[in-house]
Amino acid sequence: MSVSETPTTYSGARKGEDKSFEGVWDTPKGIHVLSSVSHRVVGRRFIYTGFVFFLIAGVLALLVRTQLIVPGNTFLDLETYNQVFTMHGTLMMFLFAIPILEGFAVYLIPLMLGARDLIFPRLGQFGYYCYLFGGIIVLSSFVFDAAPDGGWFMYVPLSTKAHTPGLSADFWLIGITFAEIASVTAAVELITAILTARAPGMSLTKMPIFAWYILITAFMIAIGFPPLIIGSILLEAERLLGLPFFDPMLGGDPLLWQHLFWLFGHPEVYIIFLPAAGMVATMLPTFVGKPLFGYGFAVAAVVSMGFISFGLWAHHMFATGLPILSLSLFSAASTMVAVPTAIQVFCFIATLASGRPKLTTPMLFILGFLSIFVLGGLTGVMLASVPFNWQAHDSYFVVAHLHYVLIGGMVFPLIGAFYYWAPHFTGRMMSERLGRWVFGLMFVGFNTTFLLMHITGLRGMPRRVATYAEGLGWDRLNMLSSIGSYILAAGIALFVFDFFRSRRHGPPAPRNPWGAGTLEWLYPPVAPGFNFHAIPPVESREPLWDQPHLLETEAHKVEGVMHGIRDGRRETVGCDPVSGKPLYILRLPHPTWLPMIAAAGLALLFGATLASAYWLCAVGAVIALVAFTLWGWEPSDSGVTRDAGMGHELPVNVVDRRSHMHVALVGTMLVLMALFASLIFGLLYLWNIRPEAAETLTRPALLPAAVAVVLGLAVALFGQLTRRAAVRDRFAGATVLSLLTVLTSLLAVAALGLSLMPIDPWASALGATLWAIGGFVAFNLAVLTYWGLFNAARRLTRRIGPGQSMPDFNLATFAKGCGLMVAVAGAFFIAGAVGGVG
Amino acid sequence: MESTLDTFGSQDTSNVAGFAAGETLWLTVLMSAAGVAIFVVVMVFIALAWRGRGGGQTWWIVGGGVIFPVVVIGTLFVTSTFVLRAIAGPSTPAHVIEVTGKQFWWDVIYDPEGRALRDANEVVLPLGEPVEIRLKSTDVIHSFWVPSIAGKMDMIPGRVNTLTVTATREGRFRGQCAEFCGLAHPLMAFEAVVLPPEEYDAFLADLDGEARDAVTPQERRGAEVFQTSGCVACHRVQGISDARIGPDLTRVGGRAALGAGMWEMNTGNLAGWIADVGDMKPGAEMPSYNQLSGPDLRALVAWLESLT
Repeated sequence: MSVSETPTTYSGARKGEDKSFEGVWDTPKGIHVLSSVSHRVVGRRFIYTGFVFFLIAGVLALLVRTQLIVPGNTFLDLETYNQVFTMHGTLMMFLFAIPILEGFAVYLIPLMLGARDLIFPRLGQFGYYCYLFGGIIVLSSFVFDAAPDGGWFMYVPLSTKAHTPGLSADFWLIGITFAEIASVTAAVELITAILTARAPGMSLTKMPIFAWYILITAFMIAIGFPPLIIGSILLEAERLLGLPFFDPMLGGDPLLWQHLFWLFGHPEVYIIFLPAAGMVATMLPTFVGKPLFGYGFAVAAVVSMGFISFGLWAHHMFATGLPILSLSLFSAASTMVAVPTAIQVFCFIATLASGRPKLTTPMLFILGFLSIFVLGGLTGVMLASVPFNWQAHDSYFVVAHLHYVLIGGMVFPLIGAFYYWAPHFTGRMMSERLGRWVFGLMFVGFNTTFLLMHITGLRGMPRRVATYAEGLGWDRLNMLSSIGSYILAAGIALFVFDFFRSRRHGPPAPRNPWGAGTLEWLYPPVAPGFNFHAIPPVESREPLWDQPHLLETEAHKVEGVMHGIRDGRRETVGCDPVSGKPLYILRLPHPTWLPMIAAAGLALLFGATLASAYWLCAVGAVIALVAFTLWGWEPSDSGVTRDAGMGHELPVNVVDRRSHMHVALVGTMLVLMALFASLIFGLLYLWNIRPEAAETLTRPALLPAAVAVVLGLAVALFGQLTRRAAVRDRFAGATVLSLLTVLTSLLAVAALGLSLMPIDPWASALGATLWAIGGFVAFNLAVLTYWGLFNAARRLTRRIGPGQSMPDFNLATFAKGCGLMVAVAGAFFIAGAVGGVG
Repeated sequence: MESTLDTFGSQDTSNVAGFAAGETLWLTVLMSAAGVAIFVVVMVFIALAWRGRGGGQTWWIVGGGVIFPVVVIGTLFVTSTFVLRAIAGPSTPAHVIEVTGKQFWWDVIYDPEGRALRDANEVVLPLGEPVEIRLKSTDVIHSFWVPSIAGKMDMIPGRVNTLTVTATREGRFRGQCAEFCGLAHPLMAFEAVVLPPEEYDAFLADLDGEARDAVTPQERRGAEVFQTSGCVACHRVQGISDARIGPDLTRVGGRAALGAGMWEMNTGNLAGWIADVGDMKPGAEMPSYNQLSGPDLRALVAWLESLT
């Protein structure tokens, strides 16, 4: 590897900046705190914003319960009720549960793994603002009197323009899709951080269990969110442009939406449950005083849960008329998930038995979690039985079940986690005495509300009804459920009170207040704006227990790698994904406004779409594009070598498949491939379900499709050659090849477009889907082209110097994926053209 | 809003009046009992673990996490599959009824391939004879559910789903739309009436005939109002009009409920419905006929009530 020893200059550093370690890592003050990219700041913002959405959604739940307290109530009219229950589900699922858990992960993962920050801090800030702006768009629908009222599941045709005119569904589709960007970026960020930035010696098997849970969850988000994103884009295209993806009159199918929605929606449940279970697995050993029993079993269970969760989606669709064979298969798959769940529960139980558990407030919530979640799991197994499901589906039994699983499986651990980690955020302990009251109120209130709903459902009460008739045997049950909900709400209110009270009056938290074994408690709360003066080598899963010297010395005197600063830059250590051996120095960005501006540009783009102000959309897109360009417009650091301490002489970045950029790129490609696969799924589904529509489809042109396949393979080949040249430090070759890749990809887009020319996308669902596939591939190739030109410009302006091949290496990886996408799309067009259609 | 739904019979999965509901009920009871037992065992296990009995053993995880759940779900799956085959397996229905979900009512056609007898918001079933119910929708997704008779099945635009049911007990049972279908979703109910086979045949024969003739002068005036005020544009009354946009009214006076199972059928409710339907059922597509004079309205109501 050729090495240029010129110290690098960094455009992110401000003039006259304090070049001490503390100065470099300092969180900006005043209004500038909004430009902070620190995972502590961004993570806390996710958590607090998520909690605000939780409270709003909770108030909506109280409105629901108040409306249903007596039969024939007129507290809310039908329209308002429909808006209220729709927004309750929407806010809870999309804007509370996932973001708040990702917030905890963003905050805790670097601290637990021994990293100074997440690998892509700017991406974290960008994700947060996408989430915030998306959430504001969704909430603002109340102000415009256009709150979504089609249910959080947005079934078509109810949510199509014909049955939901106005903007309410558009607020949902656009706002939620925007907010989902945050989930996906955070997923890629967490995958990369967990795999490439751990303390020296922290092999995968020495990772804290929480990191395993988050790693699997992040992969599930990367694969699970794309079906809904594609579904939402298709539905918005149907509403806005009239493309008939779901229209049965034109060869579409309403069930396609349900498949895409639940392909996301079922993994979503585990995406919510797993991080919370990871919190339990982290807190429990602390209060038992012994490591998690069955770490290997738990990891295997979580991994298998991740796989199984993608095979169950149709159990939400048992009543849609699926063939008996499919019903049985999905029923069997659904019951199977009980096994990894039970393994985890018994790991927790065995852990309890292996020490002397202390009944602290977080422990109370863990016990609450165990009892409620086990019951919810059992009713889940019941619902996997098809005959029972036909009675219970869309009745209050399901309402009871899902709240047992989600409140028991996620909210109880979450409140416990607040009691456990709040000292880390605020430096003060919350009250154990009030905590017991919070738990008691929540536990009693929760069970009063939801235990009875099992019976209400079996007595025939359907979900999502704004009112019900007297005398059907539901009156008293509903009254009690409503009273229970007020008790539950009182518990939450007391928790909020305790949180704010403790911030002022709580006793200051000592170092490692609970006697935990994980690395986040190395520093006394509140730790400074940075994580580690030096990153200590890790020898076990509970370093604070097994390496006593860590707590015997003052935190800032702990020995480790990367002590101090080099070149005035924020840095952390990059490791081998498996062994945790230090491989390279990771340079991290300093505070910047660019991600926020990019997110604001996108917000303008989406907001203007809602307002049908299309010239404003263009303005927003340009703002975002400029911000993204400036974001990446910086000198490349790769190739420099620095002393990392403890005998490590490490390069800054490596051109290698183990590098953080490459791992992140592979993560991103996973998301893109899942998006692409969702479209292909739609195509094959419609093809299969509506053979008569396929017969009448105008066929794609054969020759251009064949050319596209060849060009796609050529793009992939050039990508591979570029990569090889880059790895071998043949820079001129890599540059030429990367430009060749870009050119070929432009030709490939043209070929795909020519192939689609005969097809009218408005005439049939299949035609529209083919165009959507072409459009998606074209979008990726546009990104590739822009990236290629961007790299060339950086090279011309010396931001990429000679000897720096990483940008070409990364571009090549992306090009390979794009080339394969073109080839696959072209192959499907050929299949359509030669009439393998019916 | 004073609703009188409770007079229309029960809507309870345990008040069994159909073969499928009966089979499913014992499955429900069995699974609930097993569920409660397993829950109690796990809680006892947690309590013992808390006291440190056993000290955390790998066999707990293998036994409790793998072997036990596999045995339980294996048993459940086999049992459940037997029930599924019994209630949804191949059968030879004696009758066919086509029910189409609409926002927010039910269009019913008996013997759709034969006599095609039309009715609305009421499904009559013969006791003890398997009936194939064909489920359709022309607007959004609805779901057909009479808990006492059988589980639910969705009505999806562009598709035809079938639900084969056998009623096992005479009586009136309430059904309700179980898939959220828009504004008035909670106000979309209906009645399932189980009659002995001979009465069922008589009911079909009755459906086959024209509507009853208007007898009194007031009823005759009512029929005239019906034909001159626009009602015929949407509603069918056999022998008078053949529109298919709204519910068939040939036997409207004979139904127990008004507005898709929502209101008791009586003079006051019927008059209120015609004059101000938006108040009684928000989201209904029918316009309010508040321009009708008092005597005309009363005449129309009297005539409609006579259509039994």
